[in-house]
Amino acid sequence: MIKNQKTFTFIKTALCFLFGLLFILPVLLIVMNALKPNGEILTSFISFPSSLYLDNFAQAMETMNFGVVFKNTVFVTVCTVFLSGTVSFFGAYGISHLKGKASDRFYILFVLGQIIPFHTVMIPISIMATKLNLNNTHLGLILFNSGFFTAFGIMTYVGFLKTVPRELEEAAAIDGAAPFRIMMQIVFPLVKSTSVTLGILFFLWTWNDLLLPNILISDGSLRTITVNLYMFKSATNAQWNLLIAGLVVSMVPIIVIYIAGQKYITSGLTAGAIK
Amino acid sequence: MSDFLYRKNKKFYLALLLPALVLYGGALVCPLLFGTLPYSFLNWNLMKGKRSFTGLTNYIRLFSDEKFIHAVCFTILLAVISILFSNLLAFAVAFMLDQNVRAKGVIRSFFFIPNIISGVMVAFVWSFIFTNAIPNIGQLLHIDALSNISWFGNPRMSMTAVVIVTAWQSTGFLMMLYVAGLQTIPKDVIEAAMLDGCVGLSKILKIQLPLLMPTVTINLFVSIAGAFKSFDIPLSLTGGGPANSTQTIALNIYTDAFGAYKTGYASAKSMLLFLIVAAIAFFQLRITRKREVQM
Repeated sequence: MIKNQKTFTFIKTALCFLFGLLFILPVLLIVMNALKPNGEILTSFISFPSSLYLDNFAQAMETMNFGVVFKNTVFVTVCTVFLSGTVSFFGAYGISHLKGKASDRFYILFVLGQIIPFHTVMIPISIMATKLNLNNTHLGLILFNSGFFTAFGIMTYVGFLKTVPRELEEAAAIDGAAPFRIMMQIVFPLVKSTSVTLGILFFLWTWNDLLLPNILISDGSLRTITVNLYMFKSATNAQWNLLIAGLVVSMVPIIVIYIAGQKYITSGLTAGAIK
Repeated sequence: MSDFLYRKNKKFYLALLLPALVLYGGALVCPLLFGTLPYSFLNWNLMKGKRSFTGLTNYIRLFSDEKFIHAVCFTILLAVISILFSNLLAFAVAFMLDQNVRAKGVIRSFFFIPNIISGVMVAFVWSFIFTNAIPNIGQLLHIDALSNISWFGNPRMSMTAVVIVTAWQSTGFLMMLYVAGLQTIPKDVIEAAMLDGCVGLSKILKIQLPLLMPTVTINLFVSIAGAFKSFDIPLSLTGGGPANSTQTIALNIYTDAFGAYKTGYASAKSMLLFLIVAAIAFFQLRITRKREVQM
């Protein structure tokens, strides 16, 4: 009986695994083919690479101007994560410590922001960016993106700050700690897991963003990775070997971040949807 | 003590909110209220520069704009079909993973990875599959029909392609929500049902699915709102073509605003999109709140 059950579990696991593999097969095929020369890709797409061929990557990185683009993306992403994370935490801390109606109203104001799709504000934003000289600057990307993310960040932080006991803060205040110090040294360490979750999500959203950088940045040397990949398709004129190599290079950092922070991503996203 | 602290620090708490209000107000609230909304009443072409107040003319024009009406219809079609497929698939996978299966984390990742990579990457992965892998498989199996499909040449196949790719991307996220939902069903309820002889499909349909209804509602709304914001995938997969057949509302606004510079008219479309999405969110809130009271 027990042995039977074990084989049953094994069969079920194998079936689930195969099904999952089939689901992710398009991505696996892309990675596999990025390792083949162009001729081999076009003739036998679904075969394994006959040898490890890395020229696609070298060539794609050069055509894609990958060094500059990667630096731009990392800079914009890191700044956005830092700014939106800090601003969200400060704002949420303020909201959760204010009393009465004001606190509720501020909270609702930020929750409502989640409804507004970016597409409904992209026209005034592009006009505003021109007026404020934020066009073709990374600062523009960082400021606007942080503004969009703040609504989600505040909502998530407020939910979590409710669970932090106030007695800790009061004890620290009696000992003479200044309010800013209480916030940073007592409360901030207690919400570390929320900070990591938000950090990873903001990272992914900035990295994957197409529309905002597409609208704000026209200078090729300032481009970020997703826009660059989008532009790359027309530039390579359907040279598939280069395109998929570029695609793999653009995807790898995201998948690495996902594997590293899997737990945080899923908990953060599901909590955000259910609320 | 607490009251004294509060009075002493109230200004500090308000000051903390300031940066958030500036960034959030500057990026979302002000552009919507002082940008899109007033623009939508103007006859304004950004390149020509002239603006004049036209009242509701832009909104009235929407109803006779065939391209826009087609975009709305396609968005709804995309929403309905992709929601159906991705929810069914997501539920099936979540149900499988709810059983006694090993390596759940790895299997879940297989389904979730499409959800975290951007629409552009997802679209490029698939455009490669459509134009290279599928014809190749067709040749290998000597099925000419499979290798001769013109995925991006005619409207029907292009629409199918956009639907497939959208459903593929959204499945993982919905699956996560279903997995979380299935875990909240008390084990004793299921055991009791099984003792009473309720197993297999009837266990799923009569016990688990009804108890999962809150999650189903959330998932439906998440996917509807997602479909109305659909932009990256149709833009990078088909560019909205052929002949605008796969243009979604968001893509239609984008081409009008940044291709034709019809700033005023595109703003009216944006307001309509905002109202649709806001109405969906409003219904979601009402329905989910009601359910909470019942349970």
